[in-house]
Amino acid sequence: MPIFKPGEIKITALLCAVLMTALGPRIANATLGEPEVTVQSDVAQLRASIESSEDRVGYRIHEIQLPDGTLLREFVAPDGNVFAVAWNGPTQPNLRQALGKYFDAMISAPKPKFADHRHLQIQQGDLVVQARGHMRAAFTGRAYLASAIPSGVNLGDLH
Amino acid sequence: MVPMRALRMGLGAALCLAAISCGGGSGGSGISSGPPPPPPATSNVASVIVDQGPSGNSVNALFTSVTVCVPGSTTSCQTIDHIQVDTGSFGLRLLAPVLTLTLPVETLASGSLVECTKFLDGFSWGPVALADVQIAGETAKSLPVQVIGDSRFTTVPANCSGTGTEEDTVSAFGANGILGIGPFEFGCGDCDTVTHGVYYACGTTCVETVVPVAMQEPNPVTRFAADNNGSIIDLPAVAANGAVTLTGSLIFGIDTQSNNQSGTQTVLNVDNSAELVMTFAGQTLANSFIDSGSNAIFFASDIPPCPMPLATFYCPGSTQMLQLSIQGANGVMANNLTFNVGNAQTMLNNNQTFNVFPELAGTLPAGNVGTFDYGLAFFYGKRVAVAVEGNKTSVGTGPYIAF
Repeated sequence: MPIFKPGEIKITALLCAVLMTALGPRIANATLGEPEVTVQSDVAQLRASIESSEDRVGYRIHEIQLPDGTLLREFVAPDGNVFAVAWNGPTQPNLRQALGKYFDAMISAPKPKFADHRHLQIQQGDLVVQARGHMRAAFTGRAYLASAIPSGVNLGDLH
Repeated sequence: MVPMRALRMGLGAALCLAAISCGGGSGGSGISSGPPPPPPATSNVASVIVDQGPSGNSVNALFTSVTVCVPGSTTSCQTIDHIQVDTGSFGLRLLAPVLTLTLPVETLASGSLVECTKFLDGFSWGPVALADVQIAGETAKSLPVQVIGDSRFTTVPANCSGTGTEEDTVSAFGANGILGIGPFEFGCGDCDTVTHGVYYACGTTCVETVVPVAMQEPNPVTRFAADNNGSIIDLPAVAANGAVTLTGSLIFGIDTQSNNQSGTQTVLNVDNSAELVMTFAGQTLANSFIDSGSNAIFFASDIPPCPMPLATFYCPGSTQMLQLSIQGANGVMANNLTFNVGNAQTMLNNNQTFNVFPELAGTLPAGNVGTFDYGLAFFYGKRVAVAVEGNKTSVGTGPYIAF
């Protein structure tokens, strides 16, 4: 799927609002590597305003829209744990909340050899973080736990 | 004073290059033999070099030198080398650990203006201060610049530190500063009306804030007294397997002097995100860009990636010659450009003193297929003009990139 343009984000936001109304208390938000429990405080922490969820074959996606327009997606495996998060928006979002206990692993990972300021590729134990972006355009990235990806889920779907 | 300063800077650059040459050893340097051509009397030409950088770990990173002065002073000045030349960002940012001057910080009613600059691989925290800035013979007075890692502002707000790794030292940042000269005036199009977690007003605590445009760090070129409509990066070609260093010119202005005239090049306007449409391997990639701040040619492909710690880069079994077309927002096409993808592990292992690799290519995560990021290698063997938004030249109106 291509990068979300502002117009698409608006449409998504509308859809999210509709879905939120329809799904009601089923909505949940969670953190990488942790169970899918309803943690309304996460949304408050991220000052997010819109949230939705969607069942796909083999996993479920929760979608959170952050105030600056960034879309944050959390991928939940059938075992009930979040195995990936992905983001797309005008700036790099606050990942401490979404990555939870894995945030420290991300920032303490050795700097990749020959890094530049446009790309991020971290592999620290089970954690993989990949991102790219530049000023004035979208920042896109994802973090996942390699061993927790449900069978049949394609890495290319995690965005 | 200006010629004196220019002379000092030229001397500094020469000394710097000499030191680099000595340290580089005998690895088959890419510097052409003979003395460089004399700069024009008008001095709109800064020397640039691709080398290992101050962290010693850079590849395909382009650097220049910048002289900064306390505003209004002709004595409280400092020339800083290894400022990265970046067409993918906007504004001058300096690393406080190498800055010997105390620059005055801009203040809002609610406190000092401090920025959380989110480069993708991490964040850089520091105040926005004013400096008189000189590059070659060009001067920008009282220019807002960011001072990254300033010891006066050490408490990073959680919303900033939560975005990634802190890059407030030279080794973490990979340069002594960064000179953002992309085709726009500002990196943030609407920070005067919307907070993006970028600018903070710091009193007893730091609070996100909007900032008047005049206080944000502009592309410094746009604030030069002359030659302020854009810039040209002129680099020689380099052997396929690379070189230790590569030197060239950063020329300010387009069609403003005899040495920056437009010719018959292809002029591609960029969109409001500074992006182009590239067609590669049968895919139309609408969020693509040409970027001196990217250290490889990045795209999604089935070419096998290298093992860690080079997993960002491709390691094909043999060199691949690939083809690319680029379309500007003005509809103009640059068709059938070819480029080679070498084996990153082999090229880096075989020539460990090299810092210039024209065939280094890197991965983008599968799923993120809308982008082709053509890094500094695009500029090798070319004269590439970057015209700033709203400026008319003899061949087009910025924002454009022409080559």
